[in-house]
Amino acid sequence: MMMSGKKTTLLELKGGDQLGAQDLTLLSLASLLVFLIPVFYINRRLKLKINKTMSASIIRMCIQLSFVGLYLEFLFKFNSPILNIVYLLIMISIACQSILKSSNLKIRKLFIPVFFSLLLPFAIILLFFNAVVVRIDNLFEAKYMIPIGGMLLGNCLRSIIIGLNNFYSGIKKDERVYLYSLSLFSSRIQALKPYFKESITASITPTIASMATIGLVSLPGMMTGQIIGGSIPIVAIKYQIAIMLSIFYTEYFSTILSVLFSLKVGFNELDVLNQDIFISKK
Amino acid sequence: MINFESVYLKRNDKEIFSGLDFFVQKNEKVLIQGKSGIGKTTLFKILLGFETIDKGRVTFNKKDIVKEHITEIRHQIFYLSQDIDLKNEKVKNLLEEILEYNLLKNQDKAHFADLLNFLDLNDIILNQSIKELSGGERQRIGLLIGFLLDRPVWLLDEPTSALDDIMKNKIIDYIIGQDKTIIIISHDDVWKKNNTIRIERW
Ligand SMILES: Nc1ncnc2c1ncn2[C@@H]1O[C@H](COP(=O)(O)OP(=O)(O)OP(=O)(O)O)[C@@H](O)[C@H]1O
Ligand SMILES: [Mg+2]
Repeated sequence: MMMSGKKTTLLELKGGDQLGAQDLTLLSLASLLVFLIPVFYINRRLKLKINKTMSASIIRMCIQLSFVGLYLEFLFKFNSPILNIVYLLIMISIACQSILKSSNLKIRKLFIPVFFSLLLPFAIILLFFNAVVVRIDNLFEAKYMIPIGGMLLGNCLRSIIIGLNNFYSGIKKDERVYLYSLSLFSSRIQALKPYFKESITASITPTIASMATIGLVSLPGMMTGQIIGGSIPIVAIKYQIAIMLSIFYTEYFSTILSVLFSLKVGFNELDVLNQDIFISKK
Repeated sequence: MINFESVYLKRNDKEIFSGLDFFVQKNEKVLIQGKSGIGKTTLFKILLGFETIDKGRVTFNKKDIVKEHITEIRHQIFYLSQDIDLKNEKVKNLLEEILEYNLLKNQDKAHFADLLNFLDLNDIILNQSIKELSGGERQRIGLLIGFLLDRPVWLLDEPTSALDDIMKNKIIDYIIGQDKTIIIISHDDVWKKNNTIRIERW
């Protein structure tokens, strides 16, 4: 869904070499499936019951990415700001749904707060990226807006899930201690603070860790794609740094906002956790 | 001061209160006794706004327990919960934090030392974390917080369950001697030796 792979070849750089990558024929792409044969075989011998889910996943990936390819072609052809914005808004909505689903929280109750906590930092960082960092004339240029937007969203997804999950399940698990703090501090903000701090830390730690090791072990996907797509490595690296920073900021702010914006729904008027925001596991 | 008027509360299809009437005057000391699960702790939780009643009326200082008053009400109540649900931190840091948020940072050092001494607490305990404390130590830390906060109303849920007899007697006398409104839930008969205390049997 997050169009990994495809986006990168589309990222031709201003002034950069635009050799473009060698196209792959469908047949040559399909040839990669050859290696599934030993995988299937080993799975069967080991009685690993994952052949079915594995096949389903691979098929889904192919179908989803083909669709992405189709509508990206479409978006790029029209390159209309409104169309691009609508596309990103839809992507944000899908992201919200997926965030709430993976955090066991009710979509109906929390959709709006999470939507805006994603939208605000996302829009600011994306526009800043296009206007100040890349300095393109058309801020809504599909070639930049769509792939970079997708990249930011894909990463925020994970950090908001960790943040919201950590915050609400932390309080739920610790409810008596939370309520007792409330009685001692007599202020909701003070009682919530430790859970807030913990959830922010948990959600941004993976990104901080990955910034510390990036390039040592693996080349990030975006850079790899860009280099294959014809950019010179130094340009690809500059973009990679810009992207990593943008991802980090968007994650950071959207996670903080998602917790703050959701408080009104998450707690009742007397500051007690609303049990009905959780999807009951009955 | 504290009024419960025909209060109804149901949880999971179980009637906890059906038409409870309960009144406490200012500076009164009330001991509540009754069998386990009858709703004693729930009474405290209602006053603190942790549980919301289905029907009836509860007021604290003539104020309903609603959003507009809840912070003020909580600020006047010291609640000692049955299991002393303090968050797991170093005792010293926790005390500092609680005093700071309650704007009591400039505690009289001598008073603090007196209280520690009275409760038989020491520096070693202050440097331990809450999880490392014994039940009785935790109970005394809970009481220490209450004594330091000095709020006008005390709701004490089994405040002496983990204490030895000498400490129990000392603390009961101290609590009864306070110029405060105090409700105590306790199975301890030692409380009854004092005849100023009103006993409520549920
Ligand atoms: N959060 C809750 N959800 C559902 N039922 C609850 C909840 N809290 C308490 N109850 C039920 O309410 C009843 C009263 O509980 P409460 O804690 O007030 O009893 P208690 O009189 O304090 O008992 P004990 O002497 O054992 O502490 C119990 O039957 C308990 O199971
Ligand atoms: Mg109880």
